[in-house]
Amino acid sequence: MKNARIWFKKQDECIYISHLDLNRCMLRALHKSRLPIWHTEGFNPHPFATFALPLSLGFVGENESMDIRLLDDDYPFDKIITDLNDCLPTGIRVFKVTEPVMKPGKIAYADFKMLLSCDNISSDKLLDICNELFNMEEILIDKKGKKGVKQVDLKPSLVKYTLERQIGGTQINITLPAGSTNNINPSLILDAIKKYYNLDVNANVTRLNVFNENFEEFK
Amino acid sequence: MINKDVKKLLLKVQKPGRYVGGELNAVVKNKEDVDIRFAFCFPDTYEVGMSHLGMKILYSLFNSKDYIWCERVFAPWLDMEQMMIENNIPLYALESCDPITDFDFIGFTLQYELSFTNVLNMLKLANIPILSKDRKNLGQIVVAGGPCACNPEPIADFIDIFFIGEGEEVDLEVIDLYRKCKSENKTKNEFLKLASQIEGVYVPALYDVTYNDDGTVKAYIPKDNAPAVIHKRLIMNMDDCYYPDNFVVPMVEIVHDRAVEEIFRGCIRGCRFCQAGYLYRPVREKSTEVIDSQCHRLSTNTGYDEVSLSSLSSSDYSQIVPLLDKLNKWSKDEKVSISLPSLRVDGFTDDIMNKIKTVRKSGLTFAPEAGSQRLRDVINKNVMEDELLNTCSVAFNGGWTNVKLYFMIGLPTETLDDVAAIAQLGQNVVNEYYKCPNKPKGKSVNVTVSTSSFVPKPFTPFQWFGQNTIEELHNKQQHLKESITTKKITYNYHDADTSYLEAVFARGDRKLCKAMEKACEKGFHFDGWGDCFSLEKWLEVFEECNIDPDFYARRQRSFDEVLPWDHLDYGITKEHLIKECQKAYKDTPTPHCRLKCSNCGAAKYKGGVCFEKRQNMV
Repeated sequence: MKNARIWFKKQDECIYISHLDLNRCMLRALHKSRLPIWHTEGFNPHPFATFALPLSLGFVGENESMDIRLLDDDYPFDKIITDLNDCLPTGIRVFKVTEPVMKPGKIAYADFKMLLSCDNISSDKLLDICNELFNMEEILIDKKGKKGVKQVDLKPSLVKYTLERQIGGTQINITLPAGSTNNINPSLILDAIKKYYNLDVNANVTRLNVFNENFEEFK
Repeated sequence: MINKDVKKLLLKVQKPGRYVGGELNAVVKNKEDVDIRFAFCFPDTYEVGMSHLGMKILYSLFNSKDYIWCERVFAPWLDMEQMMIENNIPLYALESCDPITDFDFIGFTLQYELSFTNVLNMLKLANIPILSKDRKNLGQIVVAGGPCACNPEPIADFIDIFFIGEGEEVDLEVIDLYRKCKSENKTKNEFLKLASQIEGVYVPALYDVTYNDDGTVKAYIPKDNAPAVIHKRLIMNMDDCYYPDNFVVPMVEIVHDRAVEEIFRGCIRGCRFCQAGYLYRPVREKSTEVIDSQCHRLSTNTGYDEVSLSSLSSSDYSQIVPLLDKLNKWSKDEKVSISLPSLRVDGFTDDIMNKIKTVRKSGLTFAPEAGSQRLRDVINKNVMEDELLNTCSVAFNGGWTNVKLYFMIGLPTETLDDVAAIAQLGQNVVNEYYKCPNKPKGKSVNVTVSTSSFVPKPFTPFQWFGQNTIEELHNKQQHLKESITTKKITYNYHDADTSYLEAVFARGDRKLCKAMEKACEKGFHFDGWGDCFSLEKWLEVFEECNIDPDFYARRQRSFDEVLPWDHLDYGITKEHLIKECQKAYKDTPTPHCRLKCSNCGAAKYKGGVCFEKRQNMV
């Protein structure tokens, strides 16, 4: 038995499906592909697959990963790519298969690209607002979790970022805490703009990559 | 292929995955390469519509022709609808994201009466005039089929063509005729007249209706050579009938998220309340070989790990055990589970149970429909109480602890004693559990009793019956509630208000079109959903239109009344329905098709169960 990490992009129509739906979609693709993979041995056996870090509905994912266990140690990784892509909707594309190096639990940061736009104000104004927001002393925002609503301060998390004016909006590139212990969803920045400036902004969010606590790329 | 305008809305609505298409096996063609664009509309949400087998069959069939591009359209849920209206986005088809406004065909499947308002609302959202007469050109032809097309009159003013019976052949014949008419620059009227000559096609505009003074129908008078009686179409050889080897596989979870294999059409039983049991006569089975290979292909092409064997009563498939054996040969190895919905109480044997529970163990559902033996005889649900108890006992010994029982209240001749008998039957099932030596250790039994309110339907022996009042139905629900004395029984009941409206439309005539039009104006939609349905608002509409809904729902008809659907022929003679109705009131059951032919008229199709060799005659 050999572990394999499947790397894929989640884009186009497929950004609109939830993590749960993605999971189901992948299981069906695995089933259809007939890849020799290990199935769980519980009451309802199904292909074993775990995802490194769930991606919010609506976000594009450039470097998403899912781990499976191959029953055939010699099964070529290249073939997995084509096998799976034949069975997936076109919005999910597998581009690489590797042997896992890090454990998903090691993930501590994620890089995002956000394209913000707002119908009501100019691009310059939007950039000003973002700059002002990012320079506040504290940015208190309600965060909904499993245990109810909790107030968090975004400020300490806004460390590594760039803000620049783009055609029709503002581009934010930012590294945020991610993973099971401390996770900051970039949509909280939108919530903050709503809270402090009463503005509804549209955002195209892309998760570019994930990293461990030493900012090494997740492998 | 979502466009920019739609994209803007998607993150503001619930479950946006319903509005984007892009699923595995969705068919995308180049619109320049096709002659016909067909919008297949399901007048309900994506999750409901994508679970519907008929749509899957016709979608694949149409797209198998290179000159047709058939796309799917669903009713957007309330939040999305609101957004679309506010942002001037007309209803669009999922594959191309093009507005369906200028499609050649807008096709609806009519699965239940309460979806009629959604049909009109979807036309409205697409900026298509809802009245047939306001759509003057050859294009935007609105067609409809499905079980509710058996009484199409309440929506006759809106639909250009109804398909009567099964669609696999007649739909294509009409599409081909349209293609020819389009190339010859014919008018819409010329096309409709020609179409009416095709068997199974009903063009309501070609019929004048006259009424008696009391409001009942006097006659249907055909014009322009249209046939006086429209005969249903059906496929006699199910093995040769088109069946898709591929389904669109949704990315979001839908109601029935599995592959579906149709194993036969029709039903041998002849339950007197059941419209489907009459509409789809005679029973026509697929062979085990064909079912086996179709199941295998479907699960291979979709990746689904569950295949459901679908029909009106799956355990009545004549070769059920050999079929399950055949399927088990590959399904276990490929980790595919086979499920059998619509099991009958008397069809659940040890043998079948062991073969279907290979992978998953879901709940068990049976539908005795009535609590007392007398009432079951009235409705011809030939199920004995000890059969039910035996079956439950088999299930309990096999480890099941949940049983769901479905009943109807408001059936003809029903008394409060019959209603109380439902509670007793539930109690007997509970008792049966505690008698089982092999019941699961330390677990309690849970029996769910659900009642719906009986809606008399066209083409059944109860088509003349006046429905119970809402008050009577409430009393019966209350009586049943009070008759249940144990906590091991959970009682659920369907809202009687919706059943009342369903009864109005099920047996309505053309005069109801006015009410439908008004309802559409007022923005009615999703009547089948508790979120939207309001009987009060409907009663206002009826009042404004001077329509007495009781005339349709509550009135007991006489056998000699001309019914609004009498000009449609589903192969069952009226004499047979009358005979069955009379037997019902004498508590006399009728044996099923395989035991004895009851001479319903379906033998005229020269096939199916009517010509099977009967075992007791060998």
